[in-house]
Amino acid sequence: MAEAPNTAEESAEPKANEAPPTTNGKAAVAGGQAAPTPKPKSSTGAGSSDEPFAAVEKLANVAPGLTTAMTPAMLGKRIKILPGQPLPELDTPSAKAYVAEDQREPARPLYALICTPGLPVRTEVMRELKNVTVHGLIPLVEFGPVDWALLNQRCMAVIFERPLGGSLADAFKDGPVKVNEYELGERVVDPISHAIATLKDMGISHRSVCVENLYFMDKERRELVLGECVTAPSAFNLPPIYETAQRAMAMPHGRGIGTVMDDLYSIGVLMVLLLFGKNPVEDLSENEVIIKKIEQGSYQTFVGDVRLPLQLIEPLRGLLSDDAAERWDGTALEIWLSGQKKTPMQKRPVQKPRTSFKFAGHMHVSPRSLALSLNENVAEAATLIKNGKISLWMKQSMMMASVADEIDHIVASAKLHEGKADGEDDVIVAKTCIRLDPAGPIRFKGFSFMIDGFGPALAVEYLRKGNFQLPSEMLARDLAGYWFSAQESLISDASSYDKTFTTLRSFFMIKEMGFGIERCLYETNRSLPCQSEILQKVYIDHVEDLLTGLDEVASETDTQSRPMDKHIAAFIATHFKFDVSPHLKALSDEKPETSLVGLLSLYALMQWRLKNQALYGLGRWLGGLLTPAIGSYHSQSTRSSIEREIPTLVRQGSLPELFDLIDNADRRHQDETDFEDAQAEFAHSDGEIQNIVGDEEELKTSALLSGERATAVTSIVMGMAAISIILILQSV
Amino acid sequence: MANIIDTNEPAQDAQSAQRGRGTRNITWILAVIGALMAIALPTMIILFFGMLPTMVAFIIDRTKGKSATFTVCGINAIGTFPYIMSLWTEENTIDAAMNMLDVFTLLIMYSSAAFGWMLFMTAPPIISSFIEVMQQRRIATLRAQQKTLIDEWGPSVAALVEAESFDEDHKPHAPSSEDDEND
Repeated sequence: MAEAPNTAEESAEPKANEAPPTTNGKAAVAGGQAAPTPKPKSSTGAGSSDEPFAAVEKLANVAPGLTTAMTPAMLGKRIKILPGQPLPELDTPSAKAYVAEDQREPARPLYALICTPGLPVRTEVMRELKNVTVHGLIPLVEFGPVDWALLNQRCMAVIFERPLGGSLADAFKDGPVKVNEYELGERVVDPISHAIATLKDMGISHRSVCVENLYFMDKERRELVLGECVTAPSAFNLPPIYETAQRAMAMPHGRGIGTVMDDLYSIGVLMVLLLFGKNPVEDLSENEVIIKKIEQGSYQTFVGDVRLPLQLIEPLRGLLSDDAAERWDGTALEIWLSGQKKTPMQKRPVQKPRTSFKFAGHMHVSPRSLALSLNENVAEAATLIKNGKISLWMKQSMMMASVADEIDHIVASAKLHEGKADGEDDVIVAKTCIRLDPAGPIRFKGFSFMIDGFGPALAVEYLRKGNFQLPSEMLARDLAGYWFSAQESLISDASSYDKTFTTLRSFFMIKEMGFGIERCLYETNRSLPCQSEILQKVYIDHVEDLLTGLDEVASETDTQSRPMDKHIAAFIATHFKFDVSPHLKALSDEKPETSLVGLLSLYALMQWRLKNQALYGLGRWLGGLLTPAIGSYHSQSTRSSIEREIPTLVRQGSLPELFDLIDNADRRHQDETDFEDAQAEFAHSDGEIQNIVGDEEELKTSALLSGERATAVTSIVMGMAAISIILILQSV
Repeated sequence: MANIIDTNEPAQDAQSAQRGRGTRNITWILAVIGALMAIALPTMIILFFGMLPTMVAFIIDRTKGKSATFTVCGINAIGTFPYIMSLWTEENTIDAAMNMLDVFTLLIMYSSAAFGWMLFMTAPPIISSFIEVMQQRRIATLRAQQKTLIDEWGPSVAALVEAESFDEDHKPHAPSSEDDEND
């Protein structure tokens, strides 16, 4: 690089197996783990870089006093991760870096990123990228959960080849990160665009193209590569300045999967920042940048009146186009990189309204920027919407009568639902924002996400707040359904997203185990590990490992509680391919005995289908909870017999056999039949007793009557016998 | 009124039918007695005088099923039959029958009837006491069986019985005649 100072080599020279610098090392020890090293708030940061750091608090809050002599964590049999050797210079906002060693190739320089527990990672992308060499992308060697002693739990670790030249930002030390126009295309854009194109062919969007995520693989700093994109949800680590206006308005964890077109936009921003050596809008707040992008266009926002080198005008105009349909695609960029010229883009004037709309101290000329401001001032916004000023502006100034009508309809509908949740100001404002900016994110009480980013948004919301309050309210109000109804032109995959949200809402509305918002969480984050409190110390992201995970934690858990909660039920319902609806229904039953039998039957089915090994711990745990289930048998002798047999089956670790003992169909049928017979016998006995006892006087009368009859019969018999004897004696 | 149906009509029909049957029975009995008197008058004389206590017992007996009459009849017959037998085997004439009916003979016949009465007075209370003891034993056996059932199946085994007694207790009262009158 022309501007890269030579001294930079000294500052960013991480060496494999070398202890970290003293200061950093101390910081790591003091924090137990590498403290959430504030990323150098680079020129690119537009104010939101603090937000991702909040997610790694968990990773940083570890017990003090831990030393570097900590036991290494093993990933498989080959990779050893050294918790005592952090690499803060390779940290990302969502993951901490440590030295890693390949046991078979000790000389191979590797590093591990330990992901924030609970933060959804892109496991599918990891699987695709593992051991695949993509030119321009940092090679991913291995991934998987490891026992991470610093947090005393299992965490996802991703192993990469170590960039020996450090990061691009480090290479410039404290100076501006600046690249001249001659090297920009060949040294920076070319490898990145190649990586993006290859990823596109694999069906992956990178969504983390920024200055902070560029590294040199070699010590000489010739081979520039894009850093990782898998330790957090798409675009979670991406500063909002690199996002289009629509996606930047969403929360970092709700910006969505996006497409290669979003990566190309990020490349455009990256080019501007490297060319200028600074962030041209660093004086503006995040929202001001977004509003400027909306009102003046991205190119004008970043470039303004600066005179650009001639060869960079067209690519920047193409890559920074706010209309994805007009934006340069990979082919156009390739053509430019090969030195050919492309037809210049036609500059389109931005549509201006007759009058601007003053709100929150800004004269808005676009419904989209107005939506952004309305969402941040709900009380004032609701007043303006209700008194019809916004619909009037849309009708008279923006000439959008249909949108104005829809806003009036929102107000009328809210009046109908006054005093109810559907009539709240937040709902009115959220729906109005959707109408004003149909392509923007869904925004509700500060929970904002693009339609393809709901899953990660939900997961991170739970990680941060420990509840699902806002996503639940959003689903209950069916704002996603309203968003689909507001789309003027169908976005790609719209029908599949519509179907997904319809299904999610149906899951949400069912309050049984295996459904609810937890089910939505796992359906939209297929690689998210189970978030159950019970499984906090283990990392279960495959249903095949769930029972063994429970078996593992059985010895450390309060076995008076059940090995089941809403998260586990939802995780099973999402990932287990066999039909478990009858089991979940039983599990949700109010009667504890039915619920327990449902639980046991579910785990027995899983052990049988998944061919799990013997589960001694889980068997013992369940065996100790079965008293109510055993109590569902009527016969005392059957209960005693079951209780005697349980310890034997627990020692075998077989849940199907335990279930067969507890809920054997023949035994239960026999018990029911015998119980009915016993009831009939009891009733018969009772009837007979009542007949005998009756009224005391009646009893005596009855006995006397019986005595009289007996006497009469005896007398007649005696008389007949005497007559017969006389007759016989006479005849003889 | 032509449409009013007299609900007492069937009861009156039944009473008149019963009366008709009684008349027919008496007719038949009188006919049989008449025939027997024509065929075996001496025997009938002995029977009439010998079984006179039984006839009295029949008239005064108020027990259910005429138990006293049957008791007196059985024993009375034992005291009377030897004389009838004697009549049948020796001289079966009216004179012989009349001669046979002396005080001693009648004493024997009536003593046997008196024994029958005594039997009826003493035996039923003894037998009823015996029956009561038997019933108490049966109740104890049944209660023991019920306890065994409860031990094995729990208190819910009595659910059917409890439900029935609950239904009995909460059965709506049938309107009484007083209620009807008030209505």
